[in-house]
Amino acid sequence: MIKRVNSTGRRRIPQQNVQIEVLDGDPRSFTAAIDLSAFSAPDNAKLVMEATCAGSSQVLRFAWGTVAKPTPPQNRLLQGLSGQHVLFTLKIIDESDPFRRLLGVAEHIRPVRGGKKTATGRQGILPVELSGDLGDEPWGLEYRTADVFLLINEKLPFLRDQLRADPLVCLLIYPQVVRQILKQALSDGPEDDSPDAWQARWLGFARQLHPEGLAAPQHEDTDEQDEWIRAVVNQFCRQHELLERLIRRAGEAGWEELT
Amino acid sequence: MKLRRFNQSGVDAFRRRLSELRQAPATAAPLELLEDERLTEVVVPEVQIEGSVFETRREAANYLSMVLQGLRPEQVAADAGLWTWLSLLFFDSVCPVVDGQRGVRNDYHYIFEPRNSRHFYRHLLFIAWQILRLAPRWNTLLLRSRTSSLDKITTEVLKRLYLTRIPCIFEVLERLYWDPERRRPRAGITGNKVTAGNLTHRLPLRISQLEKNYDLVDLNAEQLIELLGDEFSCTGSR
Repeated sequence: MIKRVNSTGRRRIPQQNVQIEVLDGDPRSFTAAIDLSAFSAPDNAKLVMEATCAGSSQVLRFAWGTVAKPTPPQNRLLQGLSGQHVLFTLKIIDESDPFRRLLGVAEHIRPVRGGKKTATGRQGILPVELSGDLGDEPWGLEYRTADVFLLINEKLPFLRDQLRADPLVCLLIYPQVVRQILKQALSDGPEDDSPDAWQARWLGFARQLHPEGLAAPQHEDTDEQDEWIRAVVNQFCRQHELLERLIRRAGEAGWEELT
Repeated sequence: MKLRRFNQSGVDAFRRRLSELRQAPATAAPLELLEDERLTEVVVPEVQIEGSVFETRREAANYLSMVLQGLRPEQVAADAGLWTWLSLLFFDSVCPVVDGQRGVRNDYHYIFEPRNSRHFYRHLLFIAWQILRLAPRWNTLLLRSRTSSLDKITTEVLKRLYLTRIPCIFEVLERLYWDPERRRPRAGITGNKVTAGNLTHRLPLRISQLEKNYDLVDLNAEQLIELLGDEFSCTGSR
């Protein structure tokens, strides 16, 4: 289990303090409104904005002045980033430290506004996308930087709508989805101070769902973890009445007569 | 020949032929798909390309970088049809005939899935081009393999975007894990056993700790090696 240690006193900057708009164009560009009024740091601490796309190795960096005098650069072009999901990170850096210690950071920031080429706003805990990479599997999961995506085979576009409406589809897919994601989240480990990471959001969601409100077992007792996941998945099915809805559906369709 | 890309029907046809090749490994590669107008389209701007055989990943990387230099790299990096078509054009490199038969491996070695985080770095030709793009200089560790194989060092590094987003990481890797005297990677760096400073377990963990506290993107290799700490001093030159 990966433990990420905040050993230098770095503080988190709430994402809502960094409002970003991505503008269409070739390449796209962006503007940012940054509110650091509640953040205390040396006046000469440097601000840097980074932009990347989900799945890309490229990181664009934009020097943004200092804490005392934030100064957006003239060039804010997202050159070389072509993906729809653009993610930003704001770093406040101690310039006097030879190793560039971070004083504050806001990670995985999504644009609040954007053109047609850019995904915006907060997504649900499980965004759904059509995918052409699934071969003959109807669905799959993809773990990206800031989110887990439920991928639906693009040969089955109707499945996306049925996920909301059809209890049979829900029952066949969602319990397994929840189980797999929680296993992965426990394997990765929650990031100790990054509540925006998907692992933390999913483990928080599961804790709320757990019938006794228990947090995930932190030690590596896999039996106990499996039991915790089972309780969460079971409660998920109960809360969404998946079994009852399926029984009703079976009655309406006359399945019982077939047995 | 003009550089082309498969459309979805072309990718599906190639996937079927890969499956058939697994059943009948002595069958010829389905090169007739390469210029089938129903399955492919010419890449614009037009690029001339010729089939060849690359023994090493470096040879493939050098050639592909040269041929594709007129295209936008971010578009090339997301072009599933292009890389899948290239796999067929260079099929003798990525799936060579040995004793009259081909050992066809998993589809993702030949069919590019740019948005699949567990498969994108396993495409044998894309990864060659991508390594040279990310590391034009410090690439000895990552470009030494045969074109047809995927070594553990490459997969352990390239699958982790938080590593490849650090500009100096490739110099750090080479200084820590390449043995210049023996001209090979240092022993034990990718074993299953967790040992001090190894590449598989300890380096990713240490980097993910450090990136929470330091602006690693702005450090040079010397600084990052110093931050990594003493356990990495036994792996290579400091």
